[in-house]
Amino acid sequence: MATVFHSQGTAVTDTNGAMMAAVLGAGIGSSAMGVFVLLNEAGLFSAPALYGPAGGVSGRTTFATIVWLVAWGVLHARWRSRDVTSGSVFTWTVVLVLLGIVATFPPVWALL
Amino acid sequence: MLFSERSIWTMVHGIGVGGAALLGLAAALFYLYAVRPTQQPTVNPTDPRAFVALTVFTAVMLWLTVIVGTYIIFPQYRATPPPGTTDLSAFPRALVLASPSTAWLHAFAMEAKEHMPWIASMLTTAVAFIAVRYRRTTLTTPAVRRLSFTLLAVSFAIVAFVSLLGVFVNKIAPLD
Repeated sequence: MATVFHSQGTAVTDTNGAMMAAVLGAGIGSSAMGVFVLLNEAGLFSAPALYGPAGGVSGRTTFATIVWLVAWGVLHARWRSRDVTSGSVFTWTVVLVLLGIVATFPPVWALL
Repeated sequence: MLFSERSIWTMVHGIGVGGAALLGLAAALFYLYAVRPTQQPTVNPTDPRAFVALTVFTAVMLWLTVIVGTYIIFPQYRATPPPGTTDLSAFPRALVLASPSTAWLHAFAMEAKEHMPWIASMLTTAVAFIAVRYRRTTLTTPAVRRLSFTLLAVSFAIVAFVSLLGVFVNKIAPLD
């Protein structure tokens, strides 16, 4: 579905791809944060401490931020001139964000 | 000196940039609520520049909050006391872990504060990008407005939650 801008009485159409890329990219970044935390807590993968005094959190957050930026960049490059089904993208984003929030919630780690 | 350098950085993190981010999120949410369409859905006289500036400002404040928190506040919080230290007041993590009644402040509160705010930063940045890239559409198109509102509401909930946890930690083991 094209996005419609109303500017000084004129209507301009634009695609929603860039918007959906930003939204899904944030969802992927959120879930990446959760995955890195869960892997660390399960003892499967510990991101290296990129700043010694801060410890492993500096590695986990930096890696998740890189995943977010790369995912956003790739999606933006592919979708910026297209219209994307916003409903499914939003649903996936909600799922990914919830996954990220749950995975970074400390009581969940006790279940591992 | 009235405040130590550690205490000043804590205030910059929690009240300065963190407080600005929380206020910015609340303001952006109210803005989206206030500009909801009325009887003329195709024409919205609202100037989008204020919302653009607000979301960009909030995203910048959130990133400053997590960066200062991770790279300036957290190293001081997790500093290990030298062997034989009996006064743990300068070592917040050791102090809260020393008592079973306060150990949850590290195991739950600080552990949550380490990661969750980064998610809020990503979500708010996405909304700021939408506000910049799609200016008027963000305010005039119901689907885009609902999308932005949802992402900002999740960010607000996260930031409010970790801010409250930060108050608890700072109450028991302040960085003085």
